[in-house]
Amino acid sequence: MTGLIPTLLLAAVLLPLGSFFLILLAGHRLREHAAVVATGAILIASLLSFASFFIWVGGHRDTIFPDNDGQVTVPADPDSVASSVSYDESTSDAGDDHDHGHEGSGHDHDGDDHGDHGSGHDGQADTNHDTAGHQTTRIEAESGEYYTLGVFGRLQLTIGYYIDTLTICMFCMVTLIATLIHFYAQGYMHEEEDDEVVDHEVTLEDGSPFKRPGRYHRFFQYLSLFCFSMLGLVLAGNVAMVFVFWELVGICSYFLIGFYIERKSASTAANKAFIVNRVGDFGMIIGLMVFWTGCGTLSFGDYHNQDGTTAAGLFSQARPADNHHQLVTPEGLVKLSARSEIRAAVQQRRKELLQVGLDLEAPEREALIAAKVSQLRNDDPNDTTRPRYGYWLLIVGGLGIFCGCVGKSAQFPLHVWLPDAMEGPTPVSALVHSATMVAAGVYLVARFFPMFAPEVLLVIAVLGVITLFIAATIAITATDIKRVLAYSTISQLGYMMMALGVGAWAAGVFHLITHAFFKSLLFMCSGSVIHAVHTNEMTEMGGLRRKMPFTAYTMLIGCLAIAGAGIPFVIGLSGYYSKDAILEQAFSFWQVNNSAFAGLFFWLAAGGAALTSFYMFRLWFMTFAGQPRDEQRFEHAHESPRMMYVPLLILAFFAITIGWKLPDFMATGNFHLTGLLETARPAGLHGDSQGLVTALTWPDEHKSHAWAIKFPVTLLAFATAVLGALLAGIFYLARWLDPEEVRESLPSAHRFLIRKWYFDELYDLVFVRPAHLIGRVIYRIDRVVLDTILHMSARVTRTIAVFWDRVADQKVVDGVVNWTAAMTHRLGIALRAVQTGRLRQYVMFIVVAAVALFLVISFFFQSPASAGG
Amino acid sequence: MTLLATTTVSMYLAVGAVMFVTGVVCMATKRNALGILMGIELVLNGANINFIAFGSEYLRPDSLGLDGQLIALFVIVLAAGEAAVALAIALNFYNNHATVDVDQADELKG
Amino acid sequence: MTSALLANISSDLFFIVFAGIACVFAVAVLLTSNIVRMAFYLVISLGATAGLFFLAGAEFVGAMQLMIYVGGTLVLLIFGVMLTAQSRFVNMRTHPRDWIMAIIVGGSLLMLLLTAAFRVPSWHEEQQVIAAASELEVADSKTATRLGLALSGVRVDKINADEQLKQGMSGYLLPFVIVSIHLLVVLIGAAYMARSKRMVRRTSEQAEDTTSS
Repeated sequence: MTGLIPTLLLAAVLLPLGSFFLILLAGHRLREHAAVVATGAILIASLLSFASFFIWVGGHRDTIFPDNDGQVTVPADPDSVASSVSYDESTSDAGDDHDHGHEGSGHDHDGDDHGDHGSGHDGQADTNHDTAGHQTTRIEAESGEYYTLGVFGRLQLTIGYYIDTLTICMFCMVTLIATLIHFYAQGYMHEEEDDEVVDHEVTLEDGSPFKRPGRYHRFFQYLSLFCFSMLGLVLAGNVAMVFVFWELVGICSYFLIGFYIERKSASTAANKAFIVNRVGDFGMIIGLMVFWTGCGTLSFGDYHNQDGTTAAGLFSQARPADNHHQLVTPEGLVKLSARSEIRAAVQQRRKELLQVGLDLEAPEREALIAAKVSQLRNDDPNDTTRPRYGYWLLIVGGLGIFCGCVGKSAQFPLHVWLPDAMEGPTPVSALVHSATMVAAGVYLVARFFPMFAPEVLLVIAVLGVITLFIAATIAITATDIKRVLAYSTISQLGYMMMALGVGAWAAGVFHLITHAFFKSLLFMCSGSVIHAVHTNEMTEMGGLRRKMPFTAYTMLIGCLAIAGAGIPFVIGLSGYYSKDAILEQAFSFWQVNNSAFAGLFFWLAAGGAALTSFYMFRLWFMTFAGQPRDEQRFEHAHESPRMMYVPLLILAFFAITIGWKLPDFMATGNFHLTGLLETARPAGLHGDSQGLVTALTWPDEHKSHAWAIKFPVTLLAFATAVLGALLAGIFYLARWLDPEEVRESLPSAHRFLIRKWYFDELYDLVFVRPAHLIGRVIYRIDRVVLDTILHMSARVTRTIAVFWDRVADQKVVDGVVNWTAAMTHRLGIALRAVQTGRLRQYVMFIVVAAVALFLVISFFFQSPASAGG
Repeated sequence: MTLLATTTVSMYLAVGAVMFVTGVVCMATKRNALGILMGIELVLNGANINFIAFGSEYLRPDSLGLDGQLIALFVIVLAAGEAAVALAIALNFYNNHATVDVDQADELKG
Repeated sequence: MTSALLANISSDLFFIVFAGIACVFAVAVLLTSNIVRMAFYLVISLGATAGLFFLAGAEFVGAMQLMIYVGGTLVLLIFGVMLTAQSRFVNMRTHPRDWIMAIIVGGSLLMLLLTAAFRVPSWHEEQQVIAAASELEVADSKTATRLGLALSGVRVDKINADEQLKQGMSGYLLPFVIVSIHLLVVLIGAAYMARSKRMVRRTSEQAEDTTSS
């Protein structure tokens, strides 16, 4: 039954693509029905995703609903031992649970006959504890190929899938939010249905606003394309496919941000988004190159070669089964980095053999290389004397892939595009720039997690924590409602990256999903507000909750969720759980490493939590509470139509409940978001891992749930949330302190924050202006040098042509012709003289001719008489 | 007594040659149209002498015989006809140009 | 034998006389510039030529020469001379330059012809002449009958010729008729051309009237 899932998910991916093409070709005729097409496609896709979810849960229900206190009784199945030779199998790992080790093959996977969870693994059938004694539930990912694009020697390019619980959860989340946003957008973009839209932000030369026909269908066309790209990215089974969809998502973002193309700000923002993303993608390509060259594959899971043998995918190469899935430097990278030593060894052996009279055969050569590789490989943290061949390549590759994530997920230093991306319509911000596209970077980090060396994780954590702090500080001064939310998004993405960086894999992914829900909720509420008052500036809003109750209170729920509100140790909104998980791991990381540097992560994260709470409640109070600041706008404000606020309600529901566990007596076991995500945890991610170059240790995430950590962290998180909310209330609700006074008393600080830490100015100075300068220089070279060359050559050609014309054509050719004519004329005139008309002369001529004729003939003929005589 | 050497064909041919050349020179030098006519008559006569010489049975055993004489006869007849026409032309010329000086008849010059 | 020798000597002597007269008077025609004298000298020269013809055995042709040529053509010429004998046309001298050119060219032609005449050996071998003359009877040299018959198409002189020469047996009937037609045409043409027209007086403008036709 689970064999159906690849097909279902493929259909879910392709449906929005079909919708895209349909609207592309027939959009003008469909007009407002384009929305129906797009929404229908994504709705069916979400149904398919949920269907896949239930199939998956049903297929793995023994893992997800374990009885006996979370222990699984599974019969031993010797088949699974034999049938899997890859990473997916970990039969040597005593504790891991698998439903079926299999090998993704073709379109179906051969675990089909093991359809239900019947096969287990090797003999240990009782508890599923790993070697460290921790309770783990893992469901093997299913990987396979839909289509092979090309085979180049041992390198294969395929369209493949890699499905585990994370994939399915992402599918459900993305399609659900996308469906809700499609409905929302039908209401929000209704003014584009008109044949003539007046765009007040674009003024023509004579001062009148710009009028254009509506582009309703195009919006949904791009939305469909985006959904296709995002879902394809989530489904991707190899990094190359991820890259392709990465770029696709980028271009969709470009289209959507620049939807109002006539606005200079929008088109500039679209350019900025794309270019900054491209900078990140450059690093990603480097990472791709490293893995392609070194490991020989880009596939996540194991795959089949052309001749039927299985080849190890990236995960198997980096975390092989016979090493308990702990990270080792992949053989390919060691070979790549130590090629001179290996070549020397091979040459030496060959020379030895040649002296004896033999030659180095291929099997012995392979064995020699393998032995040399394992000899040179140094993954022991304690052995610092030998060089670590290939490890630096692994770091470079990991950092390269992460570079792409930096661009896509708006981490420092490539975060500058996301605030400007708010130029797009609000549904775009809600879907693309809060829940899905920016989450793609986090998703890739989570997916690629097994490949990251601890040093790379450190870099991820550092960048994440910097990002979260910078963004939170900027958000407290922003006045554009969408900007606040944008910086909030950047900050939360920083949280996720930091979480993944300090080793909290499950927490990071959990936060990803909860953040998707409440951030899109917040964006949609803000869109509702903007739609009502026709302005983005919070300084012109105020007291809107009376006019727009649905929006106001759903937004309140969103603010509470993002602040992590809840009753400690009892219950909380979704954000409460995810943020706590992150903070717990950060705390654990600090405890284990026990250095100020490690503690920085935790304290900055906590400070960021306080700031988050502060600016979110600031936003809410400024918009919905207090007195209206602009009476006219307040008059015109109205609640949004039902099409728009029903999605808000649904999202609010999810924002509250998605982190909840059903009570234990309902025997739901692992059927809650955290538990489900646990089943997708990459193998080998248990136990502490240690960096080889750095001296830090990454503690096991499960340790962070210990009461000794949970207790202080929960209290601290709650305290920060309350503190932030209180401060916001003091400033903006009760007005005991005036934010204006604070601003005036710290002018430089305020300016620094409101200018976004001068990042835009810095980039402008360092990158944009030199680029312009280079452009000008090259333009100068082109005009002065190249154009001169061209003009000169043109002039030379012309001179040659003129010269040639004058000399050759006129003098020579014409001269010959004219000379001939002149000669003929002269000859005629000369011959005319012969005709004198004088009779006697003619007679003379006759006689002379006769004489001459005789003479000539007499030379040639001899009279026979004279010859004889 | 070389003067009284037997007359041979060559001697006749010599006489004919002299008459011929004289006629030609006469044609070439005379300005009077009728003088030119006279030159033509001399030329024809020189040719006739040749023919007769070749046709004489007294001079050669393998002579032309009757053919030579017949040809000479025809030449005489044709010369007469040609003289008539030539005279007509000359008289016409005289009537039109009031002169018989052929140097004045150069209107056909190129 | 003596009569034959006398005949021989006399034929040679007469030849020299006639040939001399013909040549001398032909040269005289050339040298004189008086048109009337020219005509007279021409008559004498042509008469001498007739004598040459007689000597060569072609008495009919000689007779015809005297009758037609001298008695007809030259008379015609003399008529023409008389018709155009205005005082200024009677003596017309040519330029010495023309004389020299003509002498050179004529001289070369004369040399050429004389050389050709005396080159062929069979033309100046005496034995041949003697042999030819000894074979011939005087009475056989009469040719008038044979000429007449040849003109009407029968070649009676070739009856005894060998087979090869018999191929020239066709007579001169056709040329005879052609010549007669030719003469007719000539006469008509000459008569037409010589009809009376208005005479042009030589005026100072040298106006030329178009002939009325």
